[in-house]
Amino acid sequence: MNLVPEKVGAWLSDTGPEGDVVISTRVRFARNIEDVPFPGRMKFSEAELVLDTVHWALEESGYLKEGKFFEPGMLGQDDGLYFVERHLASPDFIASRSPRGLFVSTDERLSVMINEEDHLRFQALAAGLDFATAFKLAADLDERLETQLEYAFSEEFGFLTACPTNLGTGMRASVFLHLPALVLTREIEKVLRGAYAVGLLVRGIYGEGSETRGNLFQISNQRTLGQSEAEIIEVLTSVSRQIIDYERKAREYLMHNLRVEIEDKVFRSLGILRGARIISSDEATNLLATVRFGVILGIINELKMSEVSQLLVLIRPANLQVIIGEKLTPAERDERRATFIRQKLVR
Amino acid sequence: MKICDLCGKREASLSVRQLDKEGRATELAICAECAKKRGFTSVEDLKKNAAEILAELKAKVGEQDETRVCPRCRLSYADFKKSGRLGCAECYRTFAELLAPLVRRLHGSVQHVGKGRQRGRKRAQERLELARLRAELEQAIQDEDYERAALLRDRLKRAEGEGAS
Ligand SMILES: [Zn+2]
Ligand SMILES: [Zn+2]
Repeated sequence: MNLVPEKVGAWLSDTGPEGDVVISTRVRFARNIEDVPFPGRMKFSEAELVLDTVHWALEESGYLKEGKFFEPGMLGQDDGLYFVERHLASPDFIASRSPRGLFVSTDERLSVMINEEDHLRFQALAAGLDFATAFKLAADLDERLETQLEYAFSEEFGFLTACPTNLGTGMRASVFLHLPALVLTREIEKVLRGAYAVGLLVRGIYGEGSETRGNLFQISNQRTLGQSEAEIIEVLTSVSRQIIDYERKAREYLMHNLRVEIEDKVFRSLGILRGARIISSDEATNLLATVRFGVILGIINELKMSEVSQLLVLIRPANLQVIIGEKLTPAERDERRATFIRQKLVR
Repeated sequence: MKICDLCGKREASLSVRQLDKEGRATELAICAECAKKRGFTSVEDLKKNAAEILAELKAKVGEQDETRVCPRCRLSYADFKKSGRLGCAECYRTFAELLAPLVRRLHGSVQHVGKGRQRGRKRAQERLELARLRAELEQAIQDEDYERAALLRDRLKRAEGEGAS
């Protein structure tokens, strides 16, 4: 399959607004086609029809010129995982056995999953805290598809989805945050609790369940019904702004009071990454996140923030295999990962 | 010091707005431990929460409702309670009054606000309709159900005519 080895999507290779704290912004929509059962209940032939219809709708809307369409046969476990690691598809989607398709735009800002839990799940990604860009991209796609497709909709429940948790706008908006200072100062609990209290959902990224790796967090709206798209985004933006402010204050505090300890932590992390001969993706993620923190604080000057952010994706198992160009055992992977990171970080 | 409304033992550390069955909002003071138990932490927990809510609703739903079946996709309400997933758009109409309390508890509302649906000519949808009619026609011929086949052929002709106009 024609995957792009070392290039990471525009949303990760740029540093967007508030990029020192917010890595990226995402807006996702769930939609279903009227008159066809949802993916969980449809026949094989109906799944094929939906796939074909959405493919055609994308083509008619001009999107296929701007990206690639991956058919079911191309979405096996290994290649599928590549898209999951790049935040372009969900694990459920990759595991599904029914006819399904994935569209990914060339810059990886847009992606469309066909026949996941809903007929259509599409998302837009933007660098930094940038709901304006992400929302516009996703809403434009929504509108252009809607000239082709009749969505399942009710006046009461809004856009109808397989799971009642996505009803209404069908919109899930989220931000990916890097909050090392709040974790170090142990203020993080307070912040997360505050987010829950206003109805937002918080979880760690690159981790199963709520466990976090690399002090990376995702905050998203929990409710999708009874609030407009604009209201949902407003709440998320204002909470994000507060968290950004809080994280920056914590960073200032650390640099004033614990500068040497922070420098020690940062340079030790960089030292391990530059010296290791075997490294797991978990360990690498944690160390890279600390190095990113060092770059933000100006402790490390010879690396760019976006390079380090990109490495967080490239060192994940499936992406690493695409870069190396062969299938590897876990042990081989840990070794090749260490070599790859050394090549990238040794100046 | 505020005491947790749920366990009545530990100190409350956050307050959560909750909606009761009538849709009235109440402020609840909750301790960290109870918050964790009630699942305010992750998507997984949210799903768990939905399952709990479903279990509670089960008690209120009578036998008859359990076996009610969606006329389009044949999903029963009991099926929905097992999987937490509806089968099609028609399910929402079939089970509307059973779903309303669940939806209210998940979202705090049962009325959609925001973007509506655009009406207009949907070309991909027309194609889908035609493909489905053709498949049905083929099936009818295979089943040697010629009466139905004739009916489908007429519908197909009409649909094709509309598509071309
Ligand atoms: Zn309690
Ligand atoms: Zn149904």
